[in-house]
This record gives sequence, structure tokens and C-alpha cells, in this order.
Amino acid sequence: MIRVSGLSKAFGAQQVLNSISFQVASGEVLAVMGPSGTGKSVLLLHLIGLLSPDQGEIEIDRARVDQLSEKNLLSFRRRMGYLFQDGALFDFMTVQENLAFPLREHTALGAVEVHARTTDFLRMVDLSGAQDKYPSEISGGMRKRAALARALILEPKVLLCDEPTSGLDPVRSRDISLLIRDLAKRMGCATVITTHDAVNAFRCADRLIMLDRGKIAAQGSESDLRSSPEPFVRAFLEDCPVAGEKKGATDAKR
Amino acid sequence: MNRVLDDVFGTIGRWVLFLGEAVGCVIRGHIRWGEVFRQVYELGLQSLLIVIAAAFASGAVLALQGQVMMERFGAREFIAQLVSLSLVRELGPIFTALVFSGKAGAGIAAELATMGVNNQLLAVRALGVDPVEFLIVPRMLACLMVLPALVVIAEIVGIFGGYVIAVTQTGIPGVYYLNQTFHSIGFVDFFGGFFKTFVFAFLIGGVCCFQGFFASGGALGVGHATTRAVALCYIGVIVINTILTKMILVFWGV
Repeated sequence: MIRVSGLSKAFGAQQVLNSISFQVASGEVLAVMGPSGTGKSVLLLHLIGLLSPDQGEIEIDRARVDQLSEKNLLSFRRRMGYLFQDGALFDFMTVQENLAFPLREHTALGAVEVHARTTDFLRMVDLSGAQDKYPSEISGGMRKRAALARALILEPKVLLCDEPTSGLDPVRSRDISLLIRDLAKRMGCATVITTHDAVNAFRCADRLIMLDRGKIAAQGSESDLRSSPEPFVRAFLEDCPVAGEKKGATDAKR
Repeated sequence: MNRVLDDVFGTIGRWVLFLGEAVGCVIRGHIRWGEVFRQVYELGLQSLLIVIAAAFASGAVLALQGQVMMERFGAREFIAQLVSLSLVRELGPIFTALVFSGKAGAGIAAELATMGVNNQLLAVRALGVDPVEFLIVPRMLACLMVLPALVVIAEIVGIFGGYVIAVTQTGIPGVYYLNQTFHSIGFVDFFGGFFKTFVFAFLIGGVCCFQGFFASGGALGVGHATTRAVALCYIGVIVINTILTKMILVFWGV
């Protein structure tokens, strides 16, 4: 579903991404890990076409994202869901209006159907009572869940999540990680998560990539990363406990 | 020095392209009328009271000062002409444009800048929607609808402010004052001033949307973008008013 090949990007003299290559299949969850400032968010912005690569190819659902015009990108993004680090909910809309926005823009659904669909998605992310609240009136964890519901409401083929657990307490971090995994599996989305939270990355990802100064330092399963000879990878995972069994989000909340 | 010139011309170039994009949307018919009317309501409501207060005070002060000056020349009965012509030809449009810049213009810049620093502008694009069409075009069209309406209201209220002073302080009969007012305002007097408001509205909408749209740097960036937008609008309105006044006098000759 997603194929990235030789992706490089520099801002001025700073090489942020250096020949990155990977693939993600439908229904697979890939976590891109690394410390802050290593190019994880830049990678995601390339995948959704908000940045253009200096070199390399990005292919999603058989379309070359790096070659699409801005106009074609706008329509192409309907197939993708993007969860921003801070949620990026529109603060002049209620939670329910935020979820309804993509439906009103890209579908011919009537008001009743839009209401029913948004209500379903709010229930799915456990926000049934918050539909009429504005983003400023709900907690950070609720904002993330609302933003996740907005990202998924068009049932995209690709889900991109930028630091979904940042700023959340450990319990909320675990819940949102398992919720992403649960929904991504249920909808069959090819999912890419960027994070520096190794515990939750291990918890929700099928496969992981470790970035170090814009390069892939290690990739594979949790055990592949833990047995990596790279000193950077070993140092990053030194204090990270072994993740528990991957469970459904509903189980985690009990 | 060269760098400053590069910055200035670079910014002007980006501004022209930005306005071109907005105008292109309008020409292609990509106008969200619901959003336009929401903005008309908000911008109009934001500025209406302050415009009325400023206009009433302007008319009243003009009448008070006019009484003193006109009495020196034994022309006290011409206060109505002084107030109405000053307001309609010059003060109504320019005062209203300045008040509108400081209230609605600042609001536009601050709102867009806040959306930008909170990733909401990126979220609009990530959701497959053109932010210029969704956010900029409605605000610019709303400015073009609201400012001329506010100017007409300001002129009526200003004349009423002059009327109240003339009748209560100088003893001029009300009917005589109104009669003099209506007879003194000609086609060129009204439309010469009214035409300028569309140019001011385009300038204020364009400058405030541009400054807000490209703001960066967190809360500090929002503050800088807002104050820069208002300052540029003030300077722009005053300079363009001088040029337009000269052009109107040359072409219409009165």
C-alpha cells in the first residue's frame, strides 16, 4: 500500500532525511521511532504530500504522491487519514462538527446520515458525551481520540499518526496506542505511527523502524530491534521494558 | 540592504500570488456562500458598535468645531454642508476603514495565525480541502461586503451626530439642517468616497489574511502577525486614500 524508496530531504544545510526506504502493507502498523528532531514528522508530511522530497519516490495506493499536483493531492488525501501531534481539531467547531467536516466536504451524505455516522465514530472512540463540546473544553486525551475519529471517518486506506501519545499520561498513552491498532486492524488501514515512546510503539506496531539523524538505524520486530548491534538503538531501548501482549483497545480500558 | 530589499520584494511577490490564488477561486466559482455569510455576520457584528460610536463622535465633533469656524466667517448655517461633505467624501470611509482594520482585520489575522501555529491550516489540507477556498476567500468576500455597508451606516450616524449638535447647541432648525444635508451631497461626493471603500476592503482582507495565513512561531508569532497586519492596514489605507483622492479629483474634477 505504501512504498517509500530512497527518500531524502534537506532544509538548507541540514540533511533531515537521508535515503529512507520502507514498505507498509494494508492492515499493517509500522512505528517509526527515534528521538525528537530526527525527521519523523518530516517523513509523515512527505507521505501526505505536504512536503516534497529532494530525492526519492513515494507511492501510495499505486499513485506517486511526490509527482501529484497540489490539486490532485487535495483529492488524493481523501484516501488518507492524518492524526496530528496536538490533534489540530478546528477550535471554532464542536467535536461533532469536526468529525462531520470531512463527510460534508467529500461525501454526498445528508445531515441525518452525517449525524448518525459521526455519532457512531464518537462512540467507537468513547466520546459519546462530548459531541457538543468545543476542543478547548475537553482534555488532551479526548482531543487525540476525537482527532483520531476525524482521521478515520472517511475510512481511509492509509492512516498516519504523528506522535499520538505525546503529552498524555501512561494510561491514556496505552489506551490511544491500542485504540489506533484496534481501529487500523478493523478498517484494514496501512498505518504509520511516528513516536519516541518505545513502550507504546512495541505495544501497537507490527513492525518498527528506528531513525537516527535521518537514516534508518534498525528495522524489524521488537526482538530484532532489541538485538540490534547499533549502539544508538541499544541506548534508546536500554530503559524500555518489554511490551505486554497486544490487545484490543476495549480490553485495555477495562 | 540587499537582504532587506529581497525580503520586501519577496513578501510583496508572495502576497500577490496569494491574492491571485484567492481571486482565482472566485473566478472559478469556488465560493462557499455559507461560510461567507458566517463571516459577514461575525465581522459586521464585531465592528458595528465601535463604528457607530466613532461615527457619531466624528459627526458631533465636526459640528462643534464647524460651529466655531463657520461663525468666524458668518456662515454658521453651512454647518450641515461641512459635516455631511466631510463625512461622505473623506472621513466616513477612512475612519471606518481604520476602525475595521483594528477590530475585524486584527481578528482575521489572529484567528488564522492561531490556526496556523496549532497546525489547523495543515489539517485543512490534510483533510483534502483547499485552505484558500475554505478560509481566505470567505473572509475577503466578507470584508468586501461588510466594509461598504459599515461606511454607509457610519455616514448616516455621523450626519445624525452633527444634527444633534447643530440642533441642540447652535439652534439651527432640524428640518433646515436635513434639507441642507440632502441638497449638498452630490453623486460624485457620495460615490467618490464609497468607491474607495472597496479598495480599502480588498487591502484589509488581503493584508490580514496573508499575515495570519503565513504566521509562525507560536503565541509570539500570532502577536507579531496581528500587530503587523493592523499596522500595514493603517499605513496602506492612509497612503492609498491619498492616491485615490487625487485620482478622483483628477478624473471627476470636483
